[in-house]
Amino acid sequence: MKKNIIAALMITAMTAAAAGCGGNSQTATSAPDTAAAGSSQSGGESSGAADSENSAVQDGASYTIGIGQYAVHGSLDNCREGFLQGLAEEGIEEGKNLTVLYENANGDGGMGTQIVSNFLSQDVDMVCAIATPMAQTAYGATKRTDIPVIYTAVTDPVIAQLATEDKMPAGNITGTSDKLPVEEQLQMIRQILPDAKTIGIMYSTSEVNSQSTLEEYKEAAPEYGFEIVESGVSTAADIPLAADNLLAQVDCLNNLTDNTVVSSLPIILDKANSKGIPVFGSEIEQVRIGCLASMGLDYIELGKQTGRMAAQVLTGAAEASEMPYEIIEEASFYGNSAAAENLGITLPEELVSSAAQMFDTIGDSNS
Amino acid sequence: MSILLGILEEGLIYAILALGVYITYSILDFPDLSVDSTFPLGSAVTAAMLVAGIPAPAALLVSFLSGVLAGTVTGLIHVKLKVVDLLSGIIVMTGLYSINLQIAGGANLAFFGSSTIFENSLTDPLWASPVGYFTVVIISLAAVVLVKVLLDAYLKTRSGYLLRAAGDNDTLVTSLAKDKGTVKIIGLALANGLVALSGSIYCQKQGFFEISTGTGSMVIGLASVIIGTKLFKRASFMKTTTAVIIGSILYKACIAAAMAVGIFPTSYMKFLTAALFLIILVISNRSKRKGAA
Repeated sequence: MKKNIIAALMITAMTAAAAGCGGNSQTATSAPDTAAAGSSQSGGESSGAADSENSAVQDGASYTIGIGQYAVHGSLDNCREGFLQGLAEEGIEEGKNLTVLYENANGDGGMGTQIVSNFLSQDVDMVCAIATPMAQTAYGATKRTDIPVIYTAVTDPVIAQLATEDKMPAGNITGTSDKLPVEEQLQMIRQILPDAKTIGIMYSTSEVNSQSTLEEYKEAAPEYGFEIVESGVSTAADIPLAADNLLAQVDCLNNLTDNTVVSSLPIILDKANSKGIPVFGSEIEQVRIGCLASMGLDYIELGKQTGRMAAQVLTGAAEASEMPYEIIEEASFYGNSAAAENLGITLPEELVSSAAQMFDTIGDSNS
Repeated sequence: MSILLGILEEGLIYAILALGVYITYSILDFPDLSVDSTFPLGSAVTAAMLVAGIPAPAALLVSFLSGVLAGTVTGLIHVKLKVVDLLSGIIVMTGLYSINLQIAGGANLAFFGSSTIFENSLTDPLWASPVGYFTVVIISLAAVVLVKVLLDAYLKTRSGYLLRAAGDNDTLVTSLAKDKGTVKIIGLALANGLVALSGSIYCQKQGFFEISTGTGSMVIGLASVIIGTKLFKRASFMKTTTAVIIGSILYKACIAAAMAVGIFPTSYMKFLTAALFLIILVISNRSKRKGAA
């Protein structure tokens, strides 16, 4: 009986010890050198003092940013990469004057909360939230603090209540939206497939961004002579059956940026290819791994734009609460000539010549 | 300091969920998986009501009742349709997922502007006071204590005794000329009511409903119950309900610590939970064997 109590005490002690370490771990996690670690705490205060200076990064100032990403996903990873590039363009570089804490919630909303509260406990100067649920979690958690939040890959910041109708922030939070260029995409599909009548769209019922984009497609499709056939899935496990069912009814498939569906894209492409049905993507990453074409966003660019906004906030050149959220105005054409060849389709020269990027191989989905 | 604050906020809010899981898992010996959907059910109901401008206390009550209803369904499926306990929970969990989406009108519903139990005209002075930093902890603590006291009181009533008997020795319930099925249904209803209440409070703290927050609620509850009840088994001065609440806080502390140490990426969190689970079960089993020898 005594042993049990001792064991119990040991566990409690271990927990306490681990929690104790947690407080100090900031230095160990990712600070590039001791000087940076030492000044990272003062970063929060000094950013206020930098108000008078314009956008220039102060000598010796260093920053800590907590990046919380909602799921593992090609486009979201690109956002993060672009974000760091955007910061670097403004002179805030990881390893030099920037410490990055990065956590991924792997699609678990509950984990998102823990991630943000972990960031706050590590005294970050800013939280960067990637994808809607993460942005909302960060907003809720930082409401009563003076820590700014920069988000990206939020399709509709207004519906998510992160911004008001006039694009102004709901609080000390701003960022970029990855609203899809729906009209341009439909126009492109019409150009590539002049005779197509139906477009199949698969989306997961648990993703609010997908639903709002789907509504937009349904609204805009008749104008281009298309009919949208939708298929909602609850989990990735539903996708193979849903794909079979959908492919039997449509002339082509069109992807959104749905996390669940995009993660299973190779299965969908495989099934569609065996039936000779073209699949259109919504961004570069999807075209790289075998979608025929896309009028899409470049998430690296979106990330860069976000990074530049973050730099302005960090250096005190602007307040997050006063910056309207931004979108990428221009959609660019991405095509995959290998996919086109497999399908026996020739991509119109007009599109190819204006392409932001053409792929001539079908890329590996893992890289 | 703020790491501790985060642990307390999360731990206390999830403690109400843990108390619900305690009723089914420990008292009724019923592995109730409906929890994974009744937690977001409470959130969905709350979000829908707050967006519609209904006051937060009403949302709390309706969330609780919605959980009671869901728990009753699990109970009815198990008792009346004679479906195995685990499957009854899985059926309700699966079905509720769609219903939650319907209630909230989508996978995500934000209500940052609405007044909640944490943010309203009554709590404004508290936020402005020197202890404003602890507002969420104070309100959650009050809610947990209230739920605990009521639950303790209930377990002392006749119905509460029958509930405990149904888990330990259901022939006793029958010999008292009571229907053990009804007792189980009452237990499941109450448990899921608490879980939904926890979901309601959680989403009021967050400011939005998100369908994915339900994932793993059952495991969080179970881990809290096991940590609490096994660690404080010999602490006779402490009521089991108190032990469960502390268990919930300790569980969140373990997760927060693992994350803060930064050795493990968050993708290992479920594995760490499983390991923690196993360690505590093994320790408590070993001591049980020793006690028997």
